[in-house]
Amino acid sequence: MNYFQLFDINVSFDVNLNQLSQTYQNLQKAVHPDRFAHASSQEQLLAVQKSAEINDAYQTLKQPLKRAEYILTLRGVDMPNEQQSFSDNAFLMQQMELREMLADVKFADDVDVALSSAQQILTQEYQELLESMSAQILTNNTTDNALACDNLRKLKFYQKLNLEVERLEDSLFDD
Amino acid sequence: MALLQIAEPGQSTVPHEHRLAAGIDLGTTNSLIASVKSGEASTLVDHQGNDILPSIVNYQDTSKGSLQDSLHGNSILVGEEAKALSVSDAQNTIVSAKRLIGRSLSDIKSKYPSLPYQFCGDENHPEIITRQGKINPVQVSAEILKTLAQRAEKALGGELTGVVVTVPAHFDDAQRQSTKDAAKLAGVNILRLLNEPTAAAVAYGLDSDQKGGQEGVIAIYDLGGGTFDISILRLNKGVFEVLSTGGDSALGGDDFDVAVADYLAEQAGLTRPLSPSLERQLMQQACFAKEQLTTQESVEVLLTLENNQKWSTKLTKERFDSLISALVKKTLRACRRSLKDAQISTDEVLEVVMVGGSTRVPLVRVEVEKYFNKKPLTSIDPDKVVAIGAAIQADILAGNKPDSDILLLDVTPLSLGLETMGGLVEKVILRNTTIPVAKAQEFTTFKDGQTAMAIHVLQGERELVDDCRSLARFELRGIPAMTAGAAHIRVTFKVDADGLLSVSAMEKSSGVESSIEVKPSFGLDDSKITQMLKDSMSNAKADIDARMLKEQQVEAARVIESIQAAITLDNHLLTKDEVIAIEQVIKSLADISQGEDADTIESAIEKLDQATAVFAERRMDSSINKALSGQSVEKL
Repeated sequence: MNYFQLFDINVSFDVNLNQLSQTYQNLQKAVHPDRFAHASSQEQLLAVQKSAEINDAYQTLKQPLKRAEYILTLRGVDMPNEQQSFSDNAFLMQQMELREMLADVKFADDVDVALSSAQQILTQEYQELLESMSAQILTNNTTDNALACDNLRKLKFYQKLNLEVERLEDSLFDD
Repeated sequence: MALLQIAEPGQSTVPHEHRLAAGIDLGTTNSLIASVKSGEASTLVDHQGNDILPSIVNYQDTSKGSLQDSLHGNSILVGEEAKALSVSDAQNTIVSAKRLIGRSLSDIKSKYPSLPYQFCGDENHPEIITRQGKINPVQVSAEILKTLAQRAEKALGGELTGVVVTVPAHFDDAQRQSTKDAAKLAGVNILRLLNEPTAAAVAYGLDSDQKGGQEGVIAIYDLGGGTFDISILRLNKGVFEVLSTGGDSALGGDDFDVAVADYLAEQAGLTRPLSPSLERQLMQQACFAKEQLTTQESVEVLLTLENNQKWSTKLTKERFDSLISALVKKTLRACRRSLKDAQISTDEVLEVVMVGGSTRVPLVRVEVEKYFNKKPLTSIDPDKVVAIGAAIQADILAGNKPDSDILLLDVTPLSLGLETMGGLVEKVILRNTTIPVAKAQEFTTFKDGQTAMAIHVLQGERELVDDCRSLARFELRGIPAMTAGAAHIRVTFKVDADGLLSVSAMEKSSGVESSIEVKPSFGLDDSKITQMLKDSMSNAKADIDARMLKEQQVEAARVIESIQAAITLDNHLLTKDEVIAIEQVIKSLADISQGEDADTIESAIEKLDQATAVFAERRMDSSINKALSGQSVEKL
């Protein structure tokens, strides 16, 4: 049973998050270990396994990048691993520039403005990539699946940049 | 053949017997126990009418004849009696054991350098030397739990089925495990370890007096004597979903006292080190001043110095606020981080619930109100709310409310990971992941012909091994010799509903396996606990055997009852033959459990577990299907 089946929804990148969360809670109400605190140890063990599986399924379906990766894996698309080198040089150059932009925030005249404009740029580029990936997943052919895969890798770069932004924020405001 | 009990669908399946259960708030400064009686949760009082038990244990001199006679009758004092001796008999009176539990010796010494105890034991198993010998902090907590459990059994008139014990949300694995060990030592059956802010949320969310407080996002701000927790939860139709949690394991009201004491010492022109009695006097005056300033604008502080000279000063609220403002700010930074982890803005927070005695400090309330931009809720007694919430959860877990809609979805407070090359930590489970959780990660060998791999399990947010808490080390041996990078070693982390971790490792091509419950390297192993239990009983061998037998008999009865209830409810999932087969095993267990041998009973329980494995799986699948179909009806 795949995660979409577990949640009784169609395999699609478009997910109704409210409905997903509702299903999640209903499923947990049925299998959570707290429901089995007085049951046999056999049932307790099973409850922990099922509950953990449902938690993992929910996290996978809830987050767009994990969901995309899961769909592509279900389709048998070969996911390149993280360490594999990335050949899109233009993209890598752009990433370096974005990192420099973040490094410069600290020295800006108005740190707040610099930070929020950096965040805006990152969000916009992330959204554009996400939309094109979403369309590619929808068409679902060999070419587009491979392109979606590329975009997913790029989106992960942005995810890492967002972590950098968070770290930056912490360092700026944790005095 | 045994008779089946017939129950209407939706009705309680078990012949209804109310099982006695309780919630325990095992606090740094004070502890409480509460229970649900006729639908209402309330704290239980001792023979003097007090519900608060100071978390203080005094080890008495047992050499005097009278005490020896009563052996363990009252050679250990717990609560107010122990508190009265905390100044005059400091070395034998253990205060705030919660600050020591599950910590390493060097950790304790660097965090609390001026404790009046003599420590011994090794780095991972610190002990305190008292006149009754070496005492582990786990034993101290066990005494407190024992006292509270006895109080409850007296008040409720029967034996407790189990208890829920609360822990700070940010307690790490070693601290949680040690708390569980303390319960084992106290002979108390733990139904669940529950995070303190989650317990408070349950008490708040189910409090009918709170208008409209039952749905939406709430923040629990929990500032106790020694710890600070912040949890962000979403409440929805009985489901309490923790979105994130954070805090500081060494920040509480005690730190306010230290700040004031430092200031007073400076004003009085005192230079440290001071005599122990003056040091203690300073702390007591600081605490007194703090409490007075919750309602007054200023307070007169009086000290008797070494030369018996009196010294006094006026401490204003303004001055006090400036002394503690940095500490309060620190709590707000943790709030900001937790909101961010939850992806919630302050505007989305419906209510901020204040928990813990230290939230009585006016500056705390003012700053929290400013930060969240709403008046914090202080109408629930901040001292009792955690115990009340724990009692509600205990009542449900004991099986007294089969139709309850309440579900707690909690998270792991700290990231869990493994050491990789270069002393770096690779995170396997990130903080604020909903539990229970199981995650696997693959690693490989880095040398040709490598046949073993050291696995080092860590907890914490930092990148370097040295900055994280080391939980356990173990080795996977017998990996077939391969070229570097060819082995596939799969390391699986599992965190159960108590927030406790177990780790296993397997080489995939050969199936060589090694696993560890992350426990022995820290805290106590089972044999040590058994030894301590024996030591604590006067007639060791006979007592412990009797207890083991009793435990197995209770467990057998519990298993039989739950399986019979399951058959009653779901007999459509079994063929007639299957029912008969299971009932035979039940019958055999029932017979065996009348006997005197704990081990035989244990193996008979295991047999019944195996005999019902398929049934259990069918039941689980059926309840999942029911959950999904119930929902499609809702959708229509």
